[in-house]
Amino acid sequence: MRLVIIKASMAPPPMPSNEPVQALYQDHHGWLYGWLRHHMGSAADAADLAQDTFVRLLQRSEHLHLQKPRAFLRTVARGLVIDHWRREELHKAYLEALAHLPQAHAPSVETQELLLELLERIAVMLDGLKPKVRTAFLLAQCEGLKHKEIAQRMGLSVRTVERHIADALYHCYLLRYDMQ
Amino acid sequence: MTCAPPDAKTVRQAITWRVALREHGNDPAFEQRCIQWRSACPSHELAWQRVVHLDQELDLRAVPAAGLALRTLETSHKRLQRRQALKLLGGLAMVGSAAWLAKDLDLISPWSSDYATATGERRHITLADGTRLQLNTRSAVDVAFNGQQLVVKLKRGELMLDCRQTLHPQLPVRVYAKDALLQAFDSRVALRLEGDCAHASFSHGRLAAQHAETGGWQWLEPDQAWRVTHDGAQREQPASMDALAWTEGLIVTRDMRLADFLAQVSRYRHGYLTCSDNIADMRLSGVFRLDDPEQLVRLLPRTLPVQLRELTRWWIRVERLS
Repeated sequence: MRLVIIKASMAPPPMPSNEPVQALYQDHHGWLYGWLRHHMGSAADAADLAQDTFVRLLQRSEHLHLQKPRAFLRTVARGLVIDHWRREELHKAYLEALAHLPQAHAPSVETQELLLELLERIAVMLDGLKPKVRTAFLLAQCEGLKHKEIAQRMGLSVRTVERHIADALYHCYLLRYDMQ
Repeated sequence: MTCAPPDAKTVRQAITWRVALREHGNDPAFEQRCIQWRSACPSHELAWQRVVHLDQELDLRAVPAAGLALRTLETSHKRLQRRQALKLLGGLAMVGSAAWLAKDLDLISPWSSDYATATGERRHITLADGTRLQLNTRSAVDVAFNGQQLVVKLKRGELMLDCRQTLHPQLPVRVYAKDALLQAFDSRVALRLEGDCAHASFSHGRLAAQHAETGGWQWLEPDQAWRVTHDGAQREQPASMDALAWTEGLIVTRDMRLADFLAQVSRYRHGYLTCSDNIADMRLSGVFRLDDPEQLVRLLPRTLPVQLRELTRWWIRVERLS
């Protein structure tokens, strides 16, 4: 699997080179930046994500003939804002969880960096799962708990736990293999 | 022959087997029944393989401080859900860019294609007119033959096409790749799709690329690297990798960037393989066997001053040797 993670950069935005995207950029970049700024508060974050949105469009393979360009841009940008906030929350939660860990058990700095990347990928995959499905799945995947233990911990029947775990895997399968 | 895509029911069954096997582990009778189910139909086996790969990628038990992982994922998720600003963004489900990212990743299902290969698979096919086609890993093509003209459409990945011994040697084979259209006469052509772009090279015979606007054809020179779009072909820098070595099961590199090399190796294996920025530009020359990409990765520290950092077998980053 290759996931594209675009690093936020503070460099002045280069113009996209692909023509339809360039037209979109000229017409709507200012508007998109305003929309993002309104929702994110930070001007720098908004500028980065507005830029990322167009970079994403450049990476898409099909041609863009858009009826409602702003609705489309908003959808793409919205996904990126959620990614951005998810990453922020992950970093914060991670540092807090780490603080609770005895020093000797803490992974090395390099491992931590990689671990965060891995956690982000998994969090992305699990987006949209119902909370109980998500928790049951994570208890099995992270802690390696038996179904019975998960059932006890969550106050559910073993059958329900098994169904939740299967549902979570199915969700990931659809995401990965794009089954219609 | 192509295998039918696993339908929802088959995928569900594969997941049920996987979850049960993980839970009940070492019951030989149970395992045997699972093997029977897998071998009942190729689509069962395919669904099984995918589910196992996915489950292994999502397996965090081996990760250092797995409790940390659980806590981080759960806390951050709850807080993200609670963010007021999120609601103002509009839309129903709280889903990031993952859904359409997946589509961008060339993870499109190959099963609607005439011929396709899975990760790490290579395949030889002889087509109706005698043209020999070879598909590299994660590739898909559609093929049409009307009795005279052969049309091949590369939908993703990489192919090698040899039309030197066909029923109608005077007729070219038409090859589509995204926006590009090529005609191969009595030729051996290598073609690879990367993003929006097709990369072609050929030996023997002749190869032409079409200009979509004028409809005119441009003849290409053999033994060069070409980038082909709807605007015809442009010559590329000599590649740092032998374009046809994969047909022999090899990667042959000359002064290739490590990051580019790892991106190539990633095409042949499941999981996540990358390197830290400070060694991305390290250069690599050599001949590498593709039949065991895991081994290939393991041996990197013998060739370069690097070490592997891995969270699980599936998540590997190459780093500078400290």
